Amino acid sequence: MTRLLLPKMGLRARITIAFAVGALLMSAVLAVATLGLTRQNLLDQRESSATARTYQNARTAEAMLPQQTAQANAPTFDPTDLLASIPTPTGSRPVLVLDGRGWARNPEFSYESLPEALRDKVLGGEAALMRFDHEGSTFLAVGVPLSGFDGAYFEVVSLAELESTLESIGISLLAAAILTTLAGAAVGWWAARRVLRPLRNISEAAHALATGRLETRVESSDDADLAPIADSFNEMASALEERIQRDAQFASNVSHELRSPLMTLAASIEVLENQRDDLPERSRAALDLMVADITRFQQLVEDLLEISRFDAGVMHLDLEDVRVDELVIQAVTSSTDVDVPVDIDSDLAGVVVKADKRRLSRVIANLLDNAAKYGEGATRVELRKVGDAVLIAVEDDGPGVPPEDREIIFYRFNRGTSAGHRRGIDGVGLGLSLVAEHIRLHGGSVWVEDRPDGKRGARFVIKLPAEAAEGAVVEA
Amino acid sequence: MGTRILTVEDDERIRTAVKLALEDEGWSVEEADTGEEALNAFQRQPADVVLIDIMLPGIDGFDVCRAIRRVSDVPIVMVTARADTHDVVAGLEAGADDYLTKPFAPKELSARIRALLRRVRSGDSGSTHLRFGDLEVIPEEGVVRREGKEVHLTKTEFRLLVELASSPGRVFSRETLLERVWGYGYFGDGRLVDVHVRRLRTKIEADPANPRHVVTVRGLGYKLQA
Repeated sequence: MTRLLLPKMGLRARITIAFAVGALLMSAVLAVATLGLTRQNLLDQRESSATARTYQNARTAEAMLPQQTAQANAPTFDPTDLLASIPTPTGSRPVLVLDGRGWARNPEFSYESLPEALRDKVLGGEAALMRFDHEGSTFLAVGVPLSGFDGAYFEVVSLAELESTLESIGISLLAAAILTTLAGAAVGWWAARRVLRPLRNISEAAHALATGRLETRVESSDDADLAPIADSFNEMASALEERIQRDAQFASNVSHELRSPLMTLAASIEVLENQRDDLPERSRAALDLMVADITRFQQLVEDLLEISRFDAGVMHLDLEDVRVDELVIQAVTSSTDVDVPVDIDSDLAGVVVKADKRRLSRVIANLLDNAAKYGEGATRVELRKVGDAVLIAVEDDGPGVPPEDREIIFYRFNRGTSAGHRRGIDGVGLGLSLVAEHIRLHGGSVWVEDRPDGKRGARFVIKLPAEAAEGAVVEA
Repeated sequence: MGTRILTVEDDERIRTAVKLALEDEGWSVEEADTGEEALNAFQRQPADVVLIDIMLPGIDGFDVCRAIRRVSDVPIVMVTARADTHDVVAGLEAGADDYLTKPFAPKELSARIRALLRRVRSGDSGSTHLRFGDLEVIPEEGVVRREGKEVHLTKTEFRLLVELASSPGRVFSRETLLERVWGYGYFGDGRLVDVHVRRLRTKIEADPANPRHVVTVRGLGYKLQA
């Protein structure tokens, strides 16, 4: 059972349980020992005092008996009087046996109700004591033979009070054991936490590295056991950071160097374009090719620069409060030739997101562009509020994106298996990866799914955290 | 005489290509490849628009901009490598009216130049004397006075003030101001408005840190009040 269970539990849980079990065992042993000793002690006390009293009372009875035995058969003699005159503390019940007949002061304890073993032993001439149960309670009976008579004197005392004392001590000890166990568990949990803290720090640092905060390091430790782990982790992080930055720097340098010649090319081509009508037809065709590819080239360089900014961790957003409905409408109208209907949820009126206006509009433009290239054009843009988030969805009626491609199309230079083979498409596969990076930087997420109406086509969804809705902006 | 444009750019090929493109628009273009040369050229004969690349050998674009600003309210366009650095704000604070990011299309540049050359739209009627407490604006004459003394504004600052003064008390969003003053659409850079408002305040407010006339309306935009 434990073998099956333990490996699944975390280290902290296991340490906590070990401490708790240890504390439980220790407190149980202590409680049992305490209870046993106390019980023995109290019983001994009770027995010795009862024995001493019974001896004394037996002597008193002996002293009272001789002058009465002579008239034992006289009708005036009644051992009950004798029993009544013997001083006993409350709760002590005397029983007298003479010539095989018994008298008891208290009717519930007749001679016959005494345990037989005790009676036989005492009447056999030996003083004895015995604990016994009677009608659900425990009693202690002490018997002393009467010397010179065929009889004995017994006293019966109830041990119920003793039992209840022991019971309350037992309850206290149980409570103490539970508390000790809990305290043990708490100490275990705390100790495990202390022990695991360095590991948790390392795990948090690794997570930070994985999410792109490359400058993350763990605090180096004075502890000889932990220092090597922290140091080698930091070494690894430094090497990783250096390498990523070198790559990013390279991409950034290349793109920067490309910008100047591109600028010259773009400006020169524009000059040529102004004279397009004066050019011979063959030159005109060549010019058109150049214009198209310069535009594409420029876009590519811009995208690469943007991506190298992400990689170098130097991308900064100009965040401002933006009314999301307004932004989407503006982005859609300024980036498509065809009218794409925009469905806006009425809950969205005045909803504000923290966004970099121009970058978010680039994202929407990229999705529309993507729909145009691979999805036969966007058919609908939907804007909805879901809980504390805003969903912006771009739908097309193209071939859709097969489930196995739904993650990789957001990777760089990846257009998915189906799109990659289609001809006449001039994308390079950076658009969607930029979308993903930008949305991540905005604190949102992006994915692709089937169209909810069941028709053919893809639905790209952006989810952004919404700020509290504000009143509509009114220009007086 | 036609519009004269001074371009300051150290890359000869870019400079030549831009010159060719701007000349196609019918403007005459004077070139300078260093900041010093640009300042000399401007001193010899002031241009109607100055185009300054920030990255220059010797004195950089910011210094050229500030030096020209000291003597002239000529519209200045800055060319920066990136839009998301401090360069843009620094350039605007040095006195530039607008900026472009490399590589830009010459068509975009000519559109910006045309927007800067636009005359201030004249008021509808004879109410050409606008008063806001200690502030006096005469759009027709391009004159602004504070406590009776004339204040010197650049053309863009003046256009911004006149735009705000056209409806005192009304809140103008940054988008509206970008469109009316610079000719940008919804996606213009709001920092243009913010930096120009800041510059305007240092000139027309008694205490620019606690503006009385050009007031920020949080989350909405700016308004002008007496």
